[in-house]
Parts: sequence; structure tokens; C-alpha cells
Amino acid sequence: MNRKWKHHAEAYLYISPSVILTVALGIYPILWALRYMFYDYKGYGEATFVGLYNFRRLFRDEYLWDAIWNTFVFAGGKMLLTLPVALLLAVILNGKLKGRNLLRGIYFMPTIFSTAVMAVVFYIIFNTYNGLLNQLLKLAGLPTLEWLGTEYAMLTCILIAAWGGIGNYMLLFLAGLQGIPKDVYESAELDGATGARRFWSITIPMLGPVLNIIMMLAIMSALESYEAIMVLTGGGPSGATEVMHLYLYKLLFPVSTGESMAQDIGYGSAVAMLLALIVGAITGIYLYLSRKLNDVHS
Amino acid sequence: MKRMTGRLLMWAFLLTAAALLLLPIGLAVLGSLKTNQELTAGTAILPQAWQFDNYGYTWKEAKFSVYVWNSVIYSVGATLTTLAVCALAAYAAARKTFPGRKLMLAVYSAMMFIHMGVLTLKPAYQLMVELGLHKSVFGLIIMMTGAGGTTFFILYAFIRGISRDLDEAAMIDGAGSFYIFSRIILPLCTPALGVVALFAFRGAWNNYILPLVFTMSQPDLQPLTVGLANIRYGFGGAVQSHLMLAGACISMIPMLLIYVLANKSFVQMNVGALKG
Repeated sequence: MNRKWKHHAEAYLYISPSVILTVALGIYPILWALRYMFYDYKGYGEATFVGLYNFRRLFRDEYLWDAIWNTFVFAGGKMLLTLPVALLLAVILNGKLKGRNLLRGIYFMPTIFSTAVMAVVFYIIFNTYNGLLNQLLKLAGLPTLEWLGTEYAMLTCILIAAWGGIGNYMLLFLAGLQGIPKDVYESAELDGATGARRFWSITIPMLGPVLNIIMMLAIMSALESYEAIMVLTGGGPSGATEVMHLYLYKLLFPVSTGESMAQDIGYGSAVAMLLALIVGAITGIYLYLSRKLNDVHS
Repeated sequence: MKRMTGRLLMWAFLLTAAALLLLPIGLAVLGSLKTNQELTAGTAILPQAWQFDNYGYTWKEAKFSVYVWNSVIYSVGATLTTLAVCALAAYAAARKTFPGRKLMLAVYSAMMFIHMGVLTLKPAYQLMVELGLHKSVFGLIIMMTGAGGTTFFILYAFIRGISRDLDEAAMIDGAGSFYIFSRIILPLCTPALGVVALFAFRGAWNNYILPLVFTMSQPDLQPLTVGLANIRYGFGGAVQSHLMLAGACISMIPMLLIYVLANKSFVQMNVGALKG
């Protein structure tokens, strides 16, 4: 009995730093938000209980729903651009190829740099007046674009997100591809299957489970990213690139972005809860649909 | 003939992708060596005279020496704490049975899917204020410590893969569990620890939102990312793009060096993240 107790005590001692940090910085904030979403709390003074007021406000907040819509556009655009390119690169690099490691190193490189730092660099590149990209376009005799204007700002944000994401997903796809046994391809080749046929009939189905995990990661990270946009456009011009988590940031820490909004923690808590639910629901629906699709195939 | 066009198309695709991914970095490096006039006029791709002084100016006048120093402290500190905290917890969860073990694993995996965004930083900040740590380097290191998540699960999976024979032999010889952890398990974990350390270092070095929120009123505690993004709004009046690019390059160089030296581990890192 005594020995068992010592065994447990040791285990608790070892996990305690991790558990204390997880509770304090992970679980406590969730409980905190669950409380404050029912309060009117501006970050100073007393918090007053307002019941479901913050939730009623959610539905009236058109700016929030615009931001949610922008997030879908951003996430959809980023995934449409990133995933096919990343998969194609992975499939090519999975074969025998000269300079394979060097190319892999180059494609992955953008992912090692800070999103915020790169957003500063991209600001200088995409700036409409004297931006480096427009300078290059001028030198080449091509028309210039207002990359950060209302019309193209979202496209620019998507391009930048794809720039930072392609290498990461390429590597994840490569990991999945390496799990497919080589002899499957060899026998298909003997049977005369072409490259495209091999891709659709072997690569995609056999990538299945890994593909699901990658898609889930891609959905979650695309819906939750805002750092690059915050530094690049701050959500502007006139809300064109306002994504939902950036809006949440402004509700909670308005000072740092020079926003004229007032800090609103009670409402921010309700917004955070809604956003977590949206991301959870979308990944849940995706998993459900993909499982159904898998059932059809097998 | 058809094969040749196929190969040509493939290489065209590969090289275009490489060029587009490298272009922004190349533009940043070249731009950081131009004068501001040259950069805004944009008449040539290469600098007329290479302005290495930009780096000296950024380092001294724009306080980048302070930012770099802070970034180094946070990144090294957070990497060490993350490794220590996660390795200990992963060892206990993988090797010991105790009431609550299953609950702990379930909560840790659930936490990887519940994201409240920046909201978590508000109560965490207030907690640090109450502990008197909100104006200290230690508060930031604690905040940046990854106590669970991917790091924990990679180490957990790795330790479970190590044969128990070794621990049991040591236990029969009378070794205590901390001795087994530090002398047997940790050395065997070196490859996984290396990968996880890279992961943690990259995360801390590149972290922006957390130090931004925590150092809003303490410019002397700001790391590179925050310092650089702040001068985007102009310092000393005018916007000085060439200095901003020099600052960006100062932030990129250490990661680039680590990447070149540890390329293999970086590649493993993401594979591990997928399987873990």
C-alpha cells in the first residue's frame, strides 16, 4: 500500500508542472469566458450580470457576420490555392528526382519565418505606392494593381497565406505518401496504368485517412488565422479583410491596433464562444461527410 | 515526345513554385541593402551601392539589439521550460499508472481542438498581474511554455515506444524513478527532444500576439516580432522601408541558420506532428 502511494505521488509530482500550467493557461480561461459571456464587463470597474444580452447582440452585429463571411472566403481561397499545389509538389517529390532534397528545403523554407515579420515584408512588397511588386510590374511593362485596395486586399491576404502554408502541407502530404507501399504502384504500372490513373486510383484513396487529418488541420488553421492580416491590413480597407478572430482581438485589445473601438470583454467572451462553436461545427461536419464518403468507397 | 513535354511541364512547375516562394525573401534581402530613396524609386533590382550600414543603424538606433536579446531569452527560456515540463509529464503518463491518467490524456487531446483565440490571453494576463509577473521576463517565458499539445503527445508516443526492459532492469538494481527518467529515458529520447525543441524554439521566436499583448506598456521587454511590427507605423516620423526590411532580415537570419543546420529534423518534426 505504502509503495503504491509513493508510486502515485511520484507520478503526480511529475505531471504537476504540466497540469498546473494547462489548468491556469488553458482551462481557467475557458471557464472565465463561460462566466463573463453573461456579463457586461468593459475591463475596468464592476461587471454586471446581463443574462443573454450578449448573445442577442451577436445576432444583431452585422460587422461580426461580415467578418465571419470574410473568414470563409479567406479560408476557402487559402485551401483551394494551397492544398492542390502542395499535393502536386508532394507527389512529384515523392518520386525519383534530381535535387529532390534541395527543392523540398526551398518549398518548406517560408514556414520557418514569423508570420508577423513576413507580413511587414509583404506590406512593403504589396504596397500600392512604391511597393516592390508594382515596381517589378512596371519594370516588366505590365499594369500595376492596388494590391491592398478594397478590391484586391483579400486576394493579397490569400496569396500571402498560401505562400506561408504550401511548404507545410507539402511535407504533411509527403509523410502520408511515404506510407503507401511502393509495390502497389509497381503492379499498377505493369498493368499499364497511366500517371493520372495511378494518382486518382491509388494515391488519393490510399492517402484517405491521412488526407482527412490534413484537411482538418487545414480547415482549423485557416479559420483561426489572423496574425498576418492584422499586421498587413489591420482588417481594412473599410473591413474588406476583417476576419473573425481579428475582430475578436479588437474587442479584447483595441488599444494596440489604434482602433476606435472600446474594450468589451463580456461581449468578446460571447464572440469567442461562437467562433469556437463555428470552427468545431465545421470540422465536425467535415469529419462526418468524409466518413460517409469513405464508407461509399469501401 | 509526350514524355518529354511532361517532364518539361513538371520542371516548369517545380521551378516556378521555387521562384515564387523565394521571391519575397530575395526582395527583402536586396531591399534591406538599399537606401530608402532607392527602394521607393525602384529603378533597379540590385542596390546601386550596398548599404550594409542599414543593419548597424537598425541594430543601434532602432533598438534591435534590445529586441534580439529579448527574443533570444524568450525563445531559449520557453524551449527549455517546454521540454522539461512536457518530458516529465509524458514520462509519468507513459510509464506510470495513477488515478486520473486517462482523464488527463482525454483533456489534453480535447484542448488541442478547443480554441478560444486571443481570449485566453485576457484571463492569463490578469493571472500574471495577480502573481506580479506581468512586467517580468519570467511571466512571458511561463506564458510561452507549451505545457501540453503536440509537444506532449510526440514525447508521450516516443517514450511508449521505448522498451520497458531497460526501466525494469534499472528498477531491480534499485534505481529510483527520477534516476530512470534522467539517465535512461531522456538520453534515449534525444532524437524526439531535438525535434520538439526545434518546434518550440520556432514557435517562441516567431510568436507575435502573446508578447504584443504582454509588452504593450513595456517597450524594453518587446521581442523582435513586436518591435518590427511597431515600426511599421513609422518611427522618427517617416516610414523607413529599408530599415524595416533590415529588421526583418535580422529576425530571419537565426531561423535560416538553424534551418540549414537542422533541415532533417525540421522535416521529421512535421511528420511527427501528423502521426502524434
